[in-house]
Amino acid sequence: MEFTLKSLIFYGFALLTVTSGIVVVTVRNIVHAAFSLMVTLFGVAGLYVFLQADFLAATQVIVYVGGILVLILFGVMMTSDRLEMRIHIERGQLLLGGTIALALLMLLLTIIAKTPQWKNIVDEGEQLQPTTERIGNLILNGQFLLPFEVVSVLLLVALIGAALISRKEVRD
Amino acid sequence: MVIPLISLILLCPLAAFAVFGLMSLARRSVPRQDYLSTAAMLIALVCSLLLLQHVVPNPSPHTVEWIAIGNVSFSMGFYLDSVTAIMLIVVTLVSSLVHIFSMGYMHGDPRYPRFFAFLSLFSFSMLFLVVSDNLLGIYIGWELVGLCSYLLIGFWFEKDSAANACKKAFLTTRVGDVGMFIGMMMLFTKFDTLALYGEEGIFAQAAGLNTGDMVWLSIAGVLIFCGAIGKSAQVPLHTWLPDAMEGPTPVSALIHAATMVAAGVYLTARMFPILTETSSLAIAYIGGITALVAATIAIVRFDIKRVLAYSTISQLGYMMLGIGVGSYVAGLFHLTTHAFFKALLFLGSGSVIHAFHAMHAHNHDEHDAHEHAHAGADGHEHTHEHGDSELAHAHGSEIPPDQDMRNMGGLRHKMPITFATMLIATLSISGVPVLFSGFWSKDAILGGVLERAMEWNSVHHYLLFGIALFAAGITAFYMFRLIFMTFFGEPRNQEMHDMAHESPKVMTVPLLVLAVLSFPIVNKLWFNDAYVTPPKQPHVHAPAHAGLQSVPTRDGIARLQNTQDSKGTFSLFGVSEALADEKTAVEDGAHDTHADEGHHGHSPAHNIAMVLSIIVAGLGILLSWLFYHKRTLSAASVATTFRPLYNIFWNKYYFDEFYNGVLVALTVWKARLFAQFDGSVVDGIVNGVGRVTRDGLAAFTGAFDNRVVDGIVNRVAQVTWAIGGRIRRIQTGAIQTYLLVVLAGIVALILIFRAL
Amino acid sequence: MSLQNYLVISAILFTLGIFAVLTRRNAISILMGIELILNSCNLNFAAFSRFVTPPENIDGQIIAIFGIVLAAAEAAVFLAIILAIYREFGSIRPNEVDTLKG
Repeated sequence: MEFTLKSLIFYGFALLTVTSGIVVVTVRNIVHAAFSLMVTLFGVAGLYVFLQADFLAATQVIVYVGGILVLILFGVMMTSDRLEMRIHIERGQLLLGGTIALALLMLLLTIIAKTPQWKNIVDEGEQLQPTTERIGNLILNGQFLLPFEVVSVLLLVALIGAALISRKEVRD
Repeated sequence: MVIPLISLILLCPLAAFAVFGLMSLARRSVPRQDYLSTAAMLIALVCSLLLLQHVVPNPSPHTVEWIAIGNVSFSMGFYLDSVTAIMLIVVTLVSSLVHIFSMGYMHGDPRYPRFFAFLSLFSFSMLFLVVSDNLLGIYIGWELVGLCSYLLIGFWFEKDSAANACKKAFLTTRVGDVGMFIGMMMLFTKFDTLALYGEEGIFAQAAGLNTGDMVWLSIAGVLIFCGAIGKSAQVPLHTWLPDAMEGPTPVSALIHAATMVAAGVYLTARMFPILTETSSLAIAYIGGITALVAATIAIVRFDIKRVLAYSTISQLGYMMLGIGVGSYVAGLFHLTTHAFFKALLFLGSGSVIHAFHAMHAHNHDEHDAHEHAHAGADGHEHTHEHGDSELAHAHGSEIPPDQDMRNMGGLRHKMPITFATMLIATLSISGVPVLFSGFWSKDAILGGVLERAMEWNSVHHYLLFGIALFAAGITAFYMFRLIFMTFFGEPRNQEMHDMAHESPKVMTVPLLVLAVLSFPIVNKLWFNDAYVTPPKQPHVHAPAHAGLQSVPTRDGIARLQNTQDSKGTFSLFGVSEALADEKTAVEDGAHDTHADEGHHGHSPAHNIAMVLSIIVAGLGILLSWLFYHKRTLSAASVATTFRPLYNIFWNKYYFDEFYNGVLVALTVWKARLFAQFDGSVVDGIVNGVGRVTRDGLAAFTGAFDNRVVDGIVNRVAQVTWAIGGRIRRIQTGAIQTYLLVVLAGIVALILIFRAL
Repeated sequence: MSLQNYLVISAILFTLGIFAVLTRRNAISILMGIELILNSCNLNFAAFSRFVTPPENIDGQIIAIFGIVLAAAEAAVFLAIILAIYREFGSIRPNEVDTLKG
């Protein structure tokens, strides 16, 4: 394994992602957790870049960081008073959940390690074309037009539904 | 010709009634029901007279099969012999006259058309009874006349006394009818038929019975006679007839004097061929006792209609006595003559009552037809006020004033026609010799009794003769008492007397016709001793009294007498030539007949009887004259002297008291007993069963249900509930736990499949 | 920078998300866990698109984009539900919302 700058940066991103992810699931303060999640999302966006998915990385930053995370923070603000900022964790639950999660991780890692097709596939480092144009063609002219429309309707429905659910009930 | 004539006789009155019935159903009234019914009866009368020519000896019945049930079949049919023909004439003649009389008597009654419709129905029933050739038909007619009697006695049902009287009449005759029905059933089980005539008929079969069956046949005969006891008002079922006088007087004349009550006599005469010696004696005794008892009661009555009612009972007793001693012809002859003079007496009394009714009308208004009608109704109200049931009467209380002989007297000038006709009838019933029909018929019976007594040398029959003779004297006494009290002497009630008047022609004409019929010569036109031949009775001469060897001798005498009789006393009064011819034929046909009843005159018994009866009748009339006209003897003082006897007569031998006190009380007591039995035992059993069911069975099954069945169900439910209670803890509602389990499952599955 | 590197990172993120969903007693924390899981999925799509399919084929990336859109919709609905629950129960602790408890 050679340590190039590129690989260093990659590992840095990987480390950042995992670490901040651990912080997200362990930190007691929910606002801290939210900000830590933002770091994780950034890390993932960086990993996308390494995967030559530039459009995806951009979308990740815009949607997640700019949209979802803000949404989460608003949720925190509206539902949690100051006392509730601390996330409640039970010891028994923590033990069980940890065991299960750990077992799952072990399994996944075992599978990843033992699956022969996935071995030794490395990044040759060839430079690919920017994906934005191709994605745009695929979505708007090609095979993904229908899923795109369906998803846009779904999004609309979800937004209307969310507005309906979250508004204060007016009884007459 | 026979069948059409009989059909016409039956159909005319039935049609008259049917018209009324149909119109009533249509809620319309027939404008002239009286004319309709009377015309129907007159047609029937003409047919009956025409039918007289068609009578042949030993006729065969005209039958058709009516119902067949399995092997048993019932036939309906007509039988026309001399007895039927005579009865037809009597019924139609009296009925016609009563119809005519009723037009005057019932005028203006609110139910005037109905009255005539009922009369028509009655006439039909009676005629049907007479012409039937089988016991079933007779029984149907029998019950129908009973129904009509009920309807007509209760014609003025607004009066309690009338309503009670009709019920009493119906129920009392029912007692006899039950006996009659049992008797019919006995005959039916034995002979398998109810037909009387023909080869398979009851009479033909009964003649073939041997002496061993006589006890059985006697019982059947007496049971059938029970029907006659009820219908003909014989002791002890006679109490209904005096009460039946609550009905309109024409009804009393037609039904309760002339025809229906004679149906019992007719039935007995019809059943003559099966009457054994024992049953004959029983009938004779019943008849004799009835004659005496009723006559003695009649002495002390003041109600003019009741006197006649008891007189009727008494005379019916005579007829029964005549038939009971084998004087078949005499019995029927007396029936015929009695029908006319008793109808005459009743109609005459009706005329008198009508005269007093009219008095009330005078008090109110002019004497026009309409008011006359009103008088009728008013008079009935009056009756209602005073005349309550017979029981009240018995205790010396109210008699309707227009029927009370103590209010009458001296009426002979006011009502000459009524007086004259009633006098003729009275002379007839009293047995005044030679001129009057009652003498001949009654004397025939007395002679028959004495003859039988002398022949058989039987104490029974001598006793019966004594009774009958005594009753004959009493009859003469009380009948003249009636005449004297009503028509002679000074008026006792001046106000009523002043108002009395002769009845209108429509009422007096029937009286005159009936008066003519009370002369024997008229009767002889259709009634003749030779014309009516007594049928043979089974084994009457077999046992005890007379030796078998006497039979041929008697037969010889009989034949001898028969030949003599053609010039004898009876025949003096006109045997028509045609009938005389028939007589020979009859005698040929009836060779075996050993009965010569009805032929009186030359036999010593008849001579003795005739003399004695004349003496007794004369004595009775003399005493009556002394008591009630001349008043040399005081009835009151005699009554005081013989107080106990007087009380017995006055209270009518306490029959009503006995029935009320014993039978009714017994019935009530029995009913109470049964009610108690019902209440305690039956209800007890039912309640007990109920209690056992409820407390025992139901409680057990209930407990089983509760403990076992419900227990199982509940146990299952509890177990399920308990399991559910434990298992539901799995459902924590915490989604994280669920997810935990799901993931654990996934991990487990992956591990398992990898291991595989 | 082999495929396995990405897969390991993705697996770790996924496990972390699961862990958060299982243990955190706060609905918003759970939402964060879910976002982690979704990110790991998207990362997997992108990685397989890069390494397994031919380079010209970028279907995996497009699916990942759809996944992001779904995540956005999901987050919106999720938060709306959380708000409603908060109004109803006065709490967003999932173990306290146990109306369906047997």
